[in-house]
Amino acid sequence: MSNTYEQLTTFYVDGNMFGIEVLNVQEVAGSPLVFSVPLAPSFVRGLVNLRGQIATAIGLRELFDKSSKDIESRMSVICKIDGNLVSLIVDSIGEVVEVEESRFETVPDTIPQQVRRFIKGVYKMNGAFLSVLDLEALASELSPSTEADSGRNN
Amino acid sequence: MSFSKEDLDEFKAEALDLLEIAEKSLLALDSGAEFKTAFDSIFRGFHNLKGAAGIMDMEQLQAHTHELENILMGFKGDTSISKKYINLFLQGIDAAKVLLDGGEVQFDYSMPQPVILNTPNTSKDNNVILDSTTVDDPLEVKDEKILEQKDVSPETMGDFFVECEEIIERVSKHLQSIESGESTKDHLDGLYRDVHSLKGAAYLFSYKNLGDLAHIMESSLERVRSGTHSTSPSLLNGLFKCLEMIEKLLLAEKNGTTNETIENAIPRISKAMTKIENQLPSLDQPSSSEEVSVLDVEQENTQKLEQEQEQEQKSKQVNQLVPKFEETIQKNDPAKPHAANEIKNDDSTSSIRVPVALLDSLMALMGEMVLVRNQVLQFSNKSEDAEFISMSKRLNVVTSEIQAGMMKTRMQPIGNVLGKFTRVIRDLSQDLGKKINLSLTGTETELDKSLLEAIKDPLTHLVRNSCDHGIESPNVRKAAGKSEIGTVSIKAYHEGGQVVIDIQDDGKGLHREVILNKAIEKGVINKVDATKLSEKQIFNLIFAPGFSTAAKITNVSGRGVGMDVVRTNIERIGGTVDLSSVAGQGTLIKIKIPLTLAIVPALTVKCRGGTFAIPQVNLEELVRVDQSMTQNKIEFMHGTPVFRLRGSILPLVDLNVVLDIEHEVNYKDGIVNIAVLNAEQSSFGLIIDQIQDTVDIVVKPLNRLLKSLLAYSGATILGDGSVAFILDVIGISKLAHLKHEKIKTVAKLTPHAYHTNEAQDYLLIKVASPTRHALVLGYVHRLEEFKVKDIEYSGSQRVVRYGNTILPLISVNKGLGYSSTQQNQEIVPTVVIRRADHLYGLEVDAILDTLSSEADLNYSHINNPAIFGNLNTTDELIVVIDPFELIESVFPQRLGSQESLHSGNSMDRNEFVMNAAIDQKKPDISARILLAEDTIFFRKAIKDVLQNMGHEVVAASDGQEAIDLLNQAEKPFDLIVSDIEMPRVNGFQLANAVRNHPKYSSMPMMAVSSKAGLSFMKECKKAGFNIYMEKLRPNMLENAVNDLLSKEKSAV
Repeated sequence: MSNTYEQLTTFYVDGNMFGIEVLNVQEVAGSPLVFSVPLAPSFVRGLVNLRGQIATAIGLRELFDKSSKDIESRMSVICKIDGNLVSLIVDSIGEVVEVEESRFETVPDTIPQQVRRFIKGVYKMNGAFLSVLDLEALASELSPSTEADSGRNN
Repeated sequence: MSFSKEDLDEFKAEALDLLEIAEKSLLALDSGAEFKTAFDSIFRGFHNLKGAAGIMDMEQLQAHTHELENILMGFKGDTSISKKYINLFLQGIDAAKVLLDGGEVQFDYSMPQPVILNTPNTSKDNNVILDSTTVDDPLEVKDEKILEQKDVSPETMGDFFVECEEIIERVSKHLQSIESGESTKDHLDGLYRDVHSLKGAAYLFSYKNLGDLAHIMESSLERVRSGTHSTSPSLLNGLFKCLEMIEKLLLAEKNGTTNETIENAIPRISKAMTKIENQLPSLDQPSSSEEVSVLDVEQENTQKLEQEQEQEQKSKQVNQLVPKFEETIQKNDPAKPHAANEIKNDDSTSSIRVPVALLDSLMALMGEMVLVRNQVLQFSNKSEDAEFISMSKRLNVVTSEIQAGMMKTRMQPIGNVLGKFTRVIRDLSQDLGKKINLSLTGTETELDKSLLEAIKDPLTHLVRNSCDHGIESPNVRKAAGKSEIGTVSIKAYHEGGQVVIDIQDDGKGLHREVILNKAIEKGVINKVDATKLSEKQIFNLIFAPGFSTAAKITNVSGRGVGMDVVRTNIERIGGTVDLSSVAGQGTLIKIKIPLTLAIVPALTVKCRGGTFAIPQVNLEELVRVDQSMTQNKIEFMHGTPVFRLRGSILPLVDLNVVLDIEHEVNYKDGIVNIAVLNAEQSSFGLIIDQIQDTVDIVVKPLNRLLKSLLAYSGATILGDGSVAFILDVIGISKLAHLKHEKIKTVAKLTPHAYHTNEAQDYLLIKVASPTRHALVLGYVHRLEEFKVKDIEYSGSQRVVRYGNTILPLISVNKGLGYSSTQQNQEIVPTVVIRRADHLYGLEVDAILDTLSSEADLNYSHINNPAIFGNLNTTDELIVVIDPFELIESVFPQRLGSQESLHSGNSMDRNEFVMNAAIDQKKPDISARILLAEDTIFFRKAIKDVLQNMGHEVVAASDGQEAIDLLNQAEKPFDLIVSDIEMPRVNGFQLANAVRNHPKYSSMPMMAVSSKAGLSFMKECKKAGFNIYMEKLRPNMLENAVNDLLSKEKSAV
């Protein structure tokens, strides 16, 4: 067995390329109507009515502590994380790429913590880096273990 | 043999059912139920479980139930089972449950063994009866043949037929598989077991022929199964035919008839089958299972040619036999199969088993459908297409019906849970050495399955608590004069869209001091707060975390974690727990739970943060406050908004503030909406921007991150497709820092509050004075607003036309000597007062509100007769006006004033006062006065006046009470002062009674009433009153009383 390949759905947040394993992505959609949740941390943009199902909209810009400047058309990547529908709000959608697992590397320590904790690793692409989003880390962020550490960090 | 998870689950469910049936019957037997029925049902429970366990390869369970069955058999023909054995069986059932879950059990069957009839089978080896290759059937058959057919209930027979049909179906499947070459060991084993079970069941219900046929089948299979021989087509044919006959017999039996032709043929069939069996192709090397089965097939193929002829011959024999039977059956009675078919149809349609997962998914779809329905309805509201509108209405109706039907599929009778308590109570009463009787009512009340699961534990806890802490031991009960046997009664019923479960015991009840001390000791509450609590609040302390009143911790309850968990669990499913208790008489715990969780009625509201839904269960009422009014608006206490709702202070929470959307709110002008919500025994008002609609919402769960915000319990999609959050009322109150304890001290608002607290209702009015004024609400006939241009003059008197009469207007400002400031208003708010058949309008500046106050009236410092007194509330001073005095100051002639009835002469008021004033002297005797007055306010006021004069006053709340007091009085009364209008016995009746009483016929009586008029006064006189007084002018009352008393004295 030489090389195994992985297919990733890519998207961009603040100029950086990110990816999610294609099998974890349910669909890609435009920017749906978001109903904001008062009291929730700022990265929870709100709830979305996804054809009768309710999805939590997570703003990746806000999650990564990036300036949330107004981008006219945001896109959303809808995944099922831990049984909950999550709509990840990103700047734009890229292609589905096939990557060689051998080109996978861990995240450099110098990447800001707020980004690093949600990234599994990095693929070196031609002229770019593709950071693979860690859905499990995101899931644990959405399911705080105790009520105590669920403080409002906005 | 391997079983799928579904098979195992189904088996488990069925096994639990069987055990439950056995348990129920045991308990019934214990409490004296008819022996035979109960015994049969216990036996069937064990026996069927044994069979089922055998099929499922659960040998331990099979052995265990077999043992139990054997022990039970010892009681066959008895009339009772001793308690010891009932305990043994109950433990046996518990052990079986453990085994069922895959646990290990060391069960001690070593009770003094009853006489066991089937000695050969009592040894432990029996546990593998079904798997054993050397089953000694006839013996076992005899044991099982214990039931007389006629003693069995129709339901049981129905079960039996259904089971037989199931077995027959399985057997025919096995046969088909074997025939098609899948002659694996699994199929053979399955076939053998099923046939064996069929035989057992048939003999058990005394169907000898069925049993015999099954027995023939079983024995013919013996050799094949033992691995020494392989199957042959003739054997299979024979088996098929036997099966067919069994089916026919069964149909006949079901129809209540017998089929003699088949019965007579049985011995011949038996012979034929034995022949076939003996000619089975034998295997040279009998070896272990798998190989045999493979060999079977091959062997069969190779031997086929050789044996073809012979086999054909044999099978012909059977084949020839059977059609003959069939023909005869049909000739004999053509109606029979037909009738049987009908019965079968009835059985098959009555109920089916459906996996819960399927129901759940249907339920979820139902939820979606409700949402779509809501959307369509909302859309159709905008549409003008009549056809579409009528279609959407139809859709609405149908959806509602489907929803109701769907809900029903998940409903289960609460008896499923309550029934278990029979056992719980029985065990507990033994453990605790108490005698406890359980009474269950409303067990058929239905509840959503998931809710039923959720209340099981809390209910168990409450029942255990009642037994442990509530019911006293027999000697204590005896000493207290109660029956030795305590009763715990559980009652379930529907009330207002909710299910109410009452758990009541007739035990020692709760003692408030004990609870208070314990609560203070445990730090649940501090001493200062403790003094402020009402009895109800004290009782509710036992739901506080870390509270336990048990003097010592028993293994039953008293761990101090229970009751708060009970409450948490019940509140989690949207229910409430309420507790009331009478010391020495018992405790009543009331649980209210919603019918279902999936779809809840809710009120949608708006604030700046979006749309929110408040579940109707939490909603008490909606209040609309006009902030531009001067009174009855939101006030601030230490910067916190509060609202006075019917006299109680309601803490307010602004949704915008709680949700961090706004930080400061001032409710300047305009309308403010308040939703009064209940949270943990207390109420608070939620200020919202906009009230929208009440809708049925489908609750969608939130992820934990959002749940941990406390504010929301879920989300839902509204008709317009938008997402709304369901507010968690308790969470909101926590967020708003309404601390648990703090809320508790705020009395829960109940509509009865002002009755129980003996408060008086007032109408608050604004006049040209900085102080608010009030009228006793009971005097107010109507509230009106007249237009200034409608006011006319009759002479110098301002009047308005009011219905058919002329209503004279009296300015309160003028009457009280205030200078009226508001001259230019167009509307004149007027309080209409009825007096002596005439109506009068009191002009005021504004009508503000009603007030319920317990505050005392202060009569001092009053120099104006039109002012009755001052009401000293906690917040302000309120002037209470006497409207009659006010009216009289303007219309002195028109009113009859008070008249001395016993003199018969009407007196001018002033003259009377003058006379009275001259007469006035301190009473040299302290009179004993009986006061009958139903209005709390006047009872208090008159009593105060009389007491200030130095008299002793005994007050009664109506005429009847007054009569009772008169009859019971140790000391005689000197005077009766009575109202006229009273419930039960009115003033006239009281006067009559007094006058007709030999002892009191000459007792002076004074009528006090707000009614006036000559005819009324005459009636008073006729009834026997000496004097008539209008309510209520303290100084005149004083004079009149003195007058009467002195006259009485001088008369003596």
